[in-house]
Amino acid sequence: MSQLQEFFKKITGHPVYVKWLKDAWPYITGAVLLSLFQIVTLATTGNPWGVSGAFANWGAWILEALGGSVDKWYYFASEGAQATLNAGFLNNPDSWRNVGIIVGALLAVLLASQFKIKKIKSFRQVIAAVLGGLLMGYGARIGFGCNIGALFSGIASLSLSGWVFAIFLFIGAIIGSKLLVKFFM
Amino acid sequence: MKEVILDCFGEACPVPLVKAQNKMKEMAVGDVLIVQIDHSCAMKNLPDWARGEGHNVEVEETSEGEWEVIIEKTK
Amino acid sequence: MSETETGSSIRRSATRAPRKPKPNQLPFALILLVLVIAGALLLNRQGNGIAWYFVTGLVFGYILQRSRFCFTASMRDPYLTGSTQLTRTVLAAFAITTIGFAAIKYGAFRAGQPIPGQGFVVPISFATVIGAFLFGIGMVIAGGCASGTLMRVGEGFFMQMLSMTFFVVGSLWGAHDFGWWKEHVINKGKAVFLPDVFGWFGAVVIQLAVIWMLYMAAEKYHEAKASAGSH
Repeated sequence: MSQLQEFFKKITGHPVYVKWLKDAWPYITGAVLLSLFQIVTLATTGNPWGVSGAFANWGAWILEALGGSVDKWYYFASEGAQATLNAGFLNNPDSWRNVGIIVGALLAVLLASQFKIKKIKSFRQVIAAVLGGLLMGYGARIGFGCNIGALFSGIASLSLSGWVFAIFLFIGAIIGSKLLVKFFM
Repeated sequence: MKEVILDCFGEACPVPLVKAQNKMKEMAVGDVLIVQIDHSCAMKNLPDWARGEGHNVEVEETSEGEWEVIIEKTK
Repeated sequence: MSETETGSSIRRSATRAPRKPKPNQLPFALILLVLVIAGALLLNRQGNGIAWYFVTGLVFGYILQRSRFCFTASMRDPYLTGSTQLTRTVLAAFAITTIGFAAIKYGAFRAGQPIPGQGFVVPISFATVIGAFLFGIGMVIAGGCASGTLMRVGEGFFMQMLSMTFFVVGSLWGAHDFGWWKEHVINKGKAVFLPDVFGWFGAVVIQLAVIWMLYMAAEKYHEAKASAGSH
């Protein structure tokens, strides 16, 4: 076992391995590759990349599993939304893409041998996560998306809404930074 | 010459960077700040910031997914 | 790690407690890789194109993690730390995708086909303002936006698992109230597709010019902040 460990350590410590699978890429490499696959996504699926839309469906499925119903809600009333809900999680493309993001990141970290479970350290982290999550979820629904769907895909789609989203996102981030430094650190 | 260890394990961006910035303000030239992190983004933005400020910086991977960013205050 | 220590120029006391070495994670990575390939092949057998979404997700997740790309930091760091490094790279991404998207859309337009992705050209209303504002606060507090949160969940952050859970709760809440917003706010707004206003060529040129000016401003701001910080 320890011999095998030595062998794996040797591989992950090799300069070629470190260069291609361990070292962080420059930000600009990330920007170019994300842009490339954003364009690929539009070309192959007919729609740009979106993340937070699927979260509303996850919420609806959980609520239905708990015995609730969203059929009367305007947001889920359309035929398309109903069809998506009825098809379920396993048949929902956007949900699978989100699962892919989690697994892709996990794979990247494991290949770099840098995975570590990071437990919640303090109560203020709990408050920050709950409050931040709620604000993002609500904001993304009424603002037609998140940093991906409304901002990145919006601006790339030559939609003025992306730029308006960007301006107020920026202002929100300043207020958020002030709150973070004051209450959550 | 002082050596200060800043425990930022379990903290996501931007907490390690802001904590390090605040700590550096209290320190004197020649002091060394060791920031312990386990967030892969902080492993990049923390050294980037410190190098941009002109401090001496080293990053050491102390364990799987854990790093120490060692910053020597130069001015 | 001995290499970095011998190359060290910073003197430090050897007061660190010796650490127990943790096992190398490459075997887990290889197991996961096999599972991922098997999963994608299994999804592919459904024949409804879902496997492709899964694969693009994997690619996005991998790129986000390896490059530490972060939309939250691009919006937050100019104020919080004075750095516009990520802001500028995000602007670069906007410029590249503007050209790529315009090409695809214009191609469809010229061929007389429906223009793809127009569902993302959404009405601008006070709901956009409030939504973006709330999202901006939330992503800084939670330490990651939607894509960043998913990436950090993959990295093993329990905190972001919690914020993702409440992202879902918040989304449901927003969906619940959406009817009200739609009737009273969003319906008053108008969707603006820039080529409708400036023409295809004009829209691309103007958008790229705006991105370039923002890039220049971000660069100036960064330099000003850096020189102010070093007294």
